[in-house]
Amino acid sequence: MPRLLPLCVLLCVCLGTLQAQDLSGIEIHGFATQGFLYSSNNNYLSMKSSSGSLQWTDGAISFSDSLTDNLRVGIQLHIYQLGELGGPNLQVDWVSGDYRVSDYFGFRAGKVKTPIGLFNDSQDVDAVFLWILLPQSAYPIDNKSFYLAHLGGEVYGGLPLGRRAGKLNYRAYAGYNSLDLNGGYVKQAADAGLVFMTTPGGKTYGGDLRWDTPLTGFTIGSSALVQSLDGAVVGGSLRVPSAFVYAPYAQFQRGRFYFAGEYRRQPANVTVTLGPDTFQSNVDQRIWFAMASYRVSKNVHAGSYYSHWVDKSGDTSQPGNYSKDWAVSGRYDFNAYFYGKIEGHFLHGTALGYYQNTNPNGLQPNSNMLAAKIGFSF
Amino acid sequence: MKLSNKIRWLIIVLGLLGCCSAARAQDVMLLVNKSSQISEISAADLRAIYMGTKTRFSDGSHAMPVTLKGGPAHEVFLKNYLAQRPDEFRAQWRKAVFTGQGAMPRAFDSETALIEFIAATPGALGYVSHIAANDNVKLLTITK
Repeated sequence: MPRLLPLCVLLCVCLGTLQAQDLSGIEIHGFATQGFLYSSNNNYLSMKSSSGSLQWTDGAISFSDSLTDNLRVGIQLHIYQLGELGGPNLQVDWVSGDYRVSDYFGFRAGKVKTPIGLFNDSQDVDAVFLWILLPQSAYPIDNKSFYLAHLGGEVYGGLPLGRRAGKLNYRAYAGYNSLDLNGGYVKQAADAGLVFMTTPGGKTYGGDLRWDTPLTGFTIGSSALVQSLDGAVVGGSLRVPSAFVYAPYAQFQRGRFYFAGEYRRQPANVTVTLGPDTFQSNVDQRIWFAMASYRVSKNVHAGSYYSHWVDKSGDTSQPGNYSKDWAVSGRYDFNAYFYGKIEGHFLHGTALGYYQNTNPNGLQPNSNMLAAKIGFSF
Repeated sequence: MKLSNKIRWLIIVLGLLGCCSAARAQDVMLLVNKSSQISEISAADLRAIYMGTKTRFSDGSHAMPVTLKGGPAHEVFLKNYLAQRPDEFRAQWRKAVFTGQGAMPRAFDSETALIEFIAATPGALGYVSHIAANDNVKLLTITK
């Protein structure tokens, strides 16, 4: 049994009775999930998934309070275990002061969520999604902690464009972002022999512009992000100069149907210096996904997506340079608080989600996977 | 005799249709604290306030939307005024709460508790299926 599961269950039992309590104005909310993964051929996400793995637990609790009509403060603590990633330590998911001057302009500062594409800032809120795994090309779960939030601030607001033109929502941010020492990138670096002496990080800035069109339920938008990374490794250094990432997207919801799609281009030039030697690795990631879902009944939700990742700087016929994933998902809500999900994946390519030490005999180019999850949120 | 039976069935069918029609027409009443200066609200503003994208009434005063935890009045309100199902509404707010972008509207188990809260809280806005005379709340009308 995963070691985090008892802790999360205890958290839920203790806090479940609160059911989103408002104690002297302080709002408390939380969620906990337990996942299961079974895969053919390869071990996925640093789990021994080919034998079936329950090493997938997630939990968070948030506290927030409105000090005045305009000022709100809050904190969310998060704990996760994903195979060999994560661990027993509570992390600050976000902590911020949020001052809303008007409906057109507000700002928040602290550790704030980073908007990239449709789902980046909410990708760890499992309860709001049909999917167990969001499209891994754009939202890799093993590296989500790197992109989720940054230290700094953002401005935000909404600009009504009139009855016939919809509404424009904007967010712009700047700050500092660092790698999660228990996350996927650091583990992959460790597998390659790079051991970090300090937490690697760098400046980040960007924004998101989202247009709620006059066609009800139809939203289009685009995000931009600039991120650099520097870190000291034993015997040398790692440097990724500022790279520009952009991500246009669209979503449409009408009645029981939901459709969404996103494209992203994400280049990175990685330079590793070890003593007198310098190693350079350039990647040019082209990412897109398309998804559709249908609300079958009040409790049942089903859907499918295709997720595509390819490194254009390499030989795109090699499985290590692409990842293509068809997913089919179903969700059942037992009530407003408890839900269960099941999902099938048909994976082609080995570029994402695989680790050397859990696949010591190499990787097969294709793999199928079954994922299941139960969750609780209040 | 046969004709009388047919008429009886016709009356029953028409009666049932009438009931269905009445059920479809079921609506809720919007309430606001008595101290509020507004007496009407546009459908767009109402939706924006409940979706968290607007925090003030048209007169500039602070709006505090509250909801019922469930039940027919809650579902009717979400469907008629926000065009949402309860699960969609819940997911929208959970997303805001867990990303640090908003605080979920306070929810009440009963209409009585909701009315009492609105009566005691300036700026509070809510809905009920029916209301007895209450000096501390007032009804809002909705404009297009």
